[in-house]
Amino acid sequence: MSAVSPRKLSEPVAAAAPSHAARRARRSVDPVVLTLLPIIVIAVIVGAVVNPVFLTTTNIIDNIITTSAVLGVLVIAESLILIGGYFDLSLEATVGFAPMLLAVLVSSAADAGLGLPFWAGLLITIPAVLLIGLANGLMIAKMKLNAFIVTLAMLILLQGLTIGLSGGQTFAMLPKAMTYLGDGVILGLPVQAWIFVLAFAAAYVFMKFTPTGRSIYAMGGNLEAARAAGIRTTRLTIGVVVAGSLLAALAGLMLTGRIASVTANQGSGMIFTVFAAAVIGGISLNGGRGNLIGAGLGVILLGIIQNILTLSNVPSFWINAAYGAIILAALLIGWVSTQRFPGGRAAA
Amino acid sequence: MPEAIVVDQVSKAFGPTLALSAVSLTVNRGESRALIGKNGAGKSTLMSILTGLSQPDSGSVQVLAEGDAGGASAVGCVYQRSTLIPAATAAENIALARFPRSRAGLIRWPEVRRQATELLAEWEYADLAGTPVEQLEPLERKVVEICRVLSQGPRVLLLDEPTAGLDRGASQRLFGHIERARARGVTIIYVSHHLHEVFEVCDSVTVLRDGRAVLTEQLTRMTVPDLVDAMVGEAAATAGGGLRAARPESARPPVLVASGVTAPKVNGVDLALRPGECVGLTGLDGAGHMQLAEVLTGQRPAEAGTVTLDGRPLPLGDIRGCIEAGIGFTPEDRHTSGYVPALSVAENATLNIMPRFANGFRLISGKKRDAFYSRLAGEWNIKAYGAAQPTEELSGGNQQKVVLARSVAADPKVLVLVNPTAGVDVSAKNSIYTTIEALRADGQAVLIVTTDDADLEVCDRVVVMVHGEVSAELRHPFTEGMIAAAVQGGGTTEPDLLPSGEEDSQ
Repeated sequence: MSAVSPRKLSEPVAAAAPSHAARRARRSVDPVVLTLLPIIVIAVIVGAVVNPVFLTTTNIIDNIITTSAVLGVLVIAESLILIGGYFDLSLEATVGFAPMLLAVLVSSAADAGLGLPFWAGLLITIPAVLLIGLANGLMIAKMKLNAFIVTLAMLILLQGLTIGLSGGQTFAMLPKAMTYLGDGVILGLPVQAWIFVLAFAAAYVFMKFTPTGRSIYAMGGNLEAARAAGIRTTRLTIGVVVAGSLLAALAGLMLTGRIASVTANQGSGMIFTVFAAAVIGGISLNGGRGNLIGAGLGVILLGIIQNILTLSNVPSFWINAAYGAIILAALLIGWVSTQRFPGGRAAA
Repeated sequence: MPEAIVVDQVSKAFGPTLALSAVSLTVNRGESRALIGKNGAGKSTLMSILTGLSQPDSGSVQVLAEGDAGGASAVGCVYQRSTLIPAATAAENIALARFPRSRAGLIRWPEVRRQATELLAEWEYADLAGTPVEQLEPLERKVVEICRVLSQGPRVLLLDEPTAGLDRGASQRLFGHIERARARGVTIIYVSHHLHEVFEVCDSVTVLRDGRAVLTEQLTRMTVPDLVDAMVGEAAATAGGGLRAARPESARPPVLVASGVTAPKVNGVDLALRPGECVGLTGLDGAGHMQLAEVLTGQRPAEAGTVTLDGRPLPLGDIRGCIEAGIGFTPEDRHTSGYVPALSVAENATLNIMPRFANGFRLISGKKRDAFYSRLAGEWNIKAYGAAQPTEELSGGNQQKVVLARSVAADPKVLVLVNPTAGVDVSAKNSIYTTIEALRADGQAVLIVTTDDADLEVCDRVVVMVHGEVSAELRHPFTEGMIAAAVQGGGTTEPDLLPSGEEDSQ
């Protein structure tokens, strides 16, 4: 953990009262949110100019929010781990592995599956996902192995298992229960939109207001200090990594539900976008800083950009290049804003 | 004998503080000069001027050799903390940054190896050149560091607490090596708190006190008590130092009882602490007082012995368990393990008791927490804009108060404060003492683990450790001089360094 050299301020004096008030006002709204909101507004205006379809309810709900939901849940998972001072590359492999395992278990024998009932499939898939998180967590927190190499190896292993399980084929004849997360509708809104919003709200409240959430911030902000304050950091790290795996499995089921099939390469390559969204949203790669509202806005910004690129008929060969350039631009804007405002570092 | 280094009327000020005031000293070639003084006497400042890291405000340092005027590396310093690269071999560490190159600009490894072997051979460690330093013994590592400095051809070798981290057998062997290096004409300035070592390694001594060189003398004419007197000054050694009468001893039964505690550097220590009593625990670097504090606070398991709190055994090695049992403590180093920079002062001060502020939904109530914090902030006189200010924005003194406030947040039965005033200014220091005294008067049992004389002044009695054992216990009225003598091992001139590295009886 790179030690942040604490900035020292002179002690408050009476004359400093106005700036004191100004500081407070600025702190009450997160600086990352303050930076991202204008950028999102600009992106929305650009979108509206590029294509009138952009501002329609269907586009916003069905395309932007719903297609961002999978990324959003993954970003929550990665943000929890990043705030705790670690990271997990294998999340994207769990996105593919969990639905593939479930699909193989519950598909009928005619479709190369085992034909188990749905609940039995879940009864095997959930412990398998827990095991992945537990293995990662034990190696990182207990054995103190490097998180990069541990989770990279786990990623390769899970991707291989997913391909092995699939036998090279795509599972498309899935039971209704397995696609509900993709096509279900509650109160007129897609289930994915509900999950997106509720998951971020729940994660925000968890991280901001529960002792466990604050312990994760403390651990990522200064592992030794957290330990000295009596926080059981090993246990907490394992818990956070396991939670990340479960969320990644949920994201995988959501993705499977949306496209109504499981392919052997599902989730592959997503982790880079996950990191980009988290960092744009103000989550520090050094741990202990950033919040879930910012991360959520980061996801929405990327969703809007993706949508605009699609709507504006950028040739599909160039979409990735444009996407990468825009992520870099967003990072630079974020850097400029933290340079401009002394208080502009993401609040915990 | 020709002079090797002449320090002439060197002064250095930091703001209003005069760190060095017209210090002069001369060391002859092949001489071994001890440089001693209490913390804050000006040793570090003088060392950084000698090595060229900082410039004196006035005065001069001349490093002399036949023929030349001395260069930038005229004084080579071996620092207390290791500067070696663990995974690199001894030879690479010695050659670092000055690799012999071929004409193509590539490193000539055989030459690196040959030069290092040659240097190490003088210290009888020729076979170490190819070994990664992480695989070496502490003494071998120290020798590699010394060889690295010597490879730069310094006129004078400055050794800063070279025996830190060495056991007594290794220290003794190091002294033998230093002796033989001197015979080869190496000039040495030896900085140490361990006065007995000074008598073994050095010919002469210069004592710094309050930025002045108060004494320079041949060691054959000195004793350890003489040096202690010179370090603390006549006044403090006998009468001054805020001498005060002893408080009547607390009659209540001890709340904390440690018996036979053994851990690395701690050798069967007994200690008892009563409610309403403030006890100091001190010693030289490596005497074991810090390790004992870590055992008492659950940061380190004990190899043997027990610690009871109110008659119940403490779960040693389990920080959470010790906090729940009633131990409140501050970690040794505020920056590495004291506080979480990005979190607010209120959160840092209550990091150990967060679940207490949970409401009906098991969420933390900010209102409850901030109310609790404002009580702590008042008690410790913490100056922040408000409960929500990130701790990283506070001054060092206020950060320290936040860490101290946390140690009492859980209403502990015993308070263990390690270096409670490290790196804070005088006014914060006094404010901290006021709070500690108020807590003590309120019946709190307080253990202050420190090497700061001002911290010890607050204590009712001071337990002194030497080589892992309790060697003395001082009660008011005691003086700085008495403490300074006690940490040396009772103030006797009898050398207590045994070649075998086994413990001697005090």
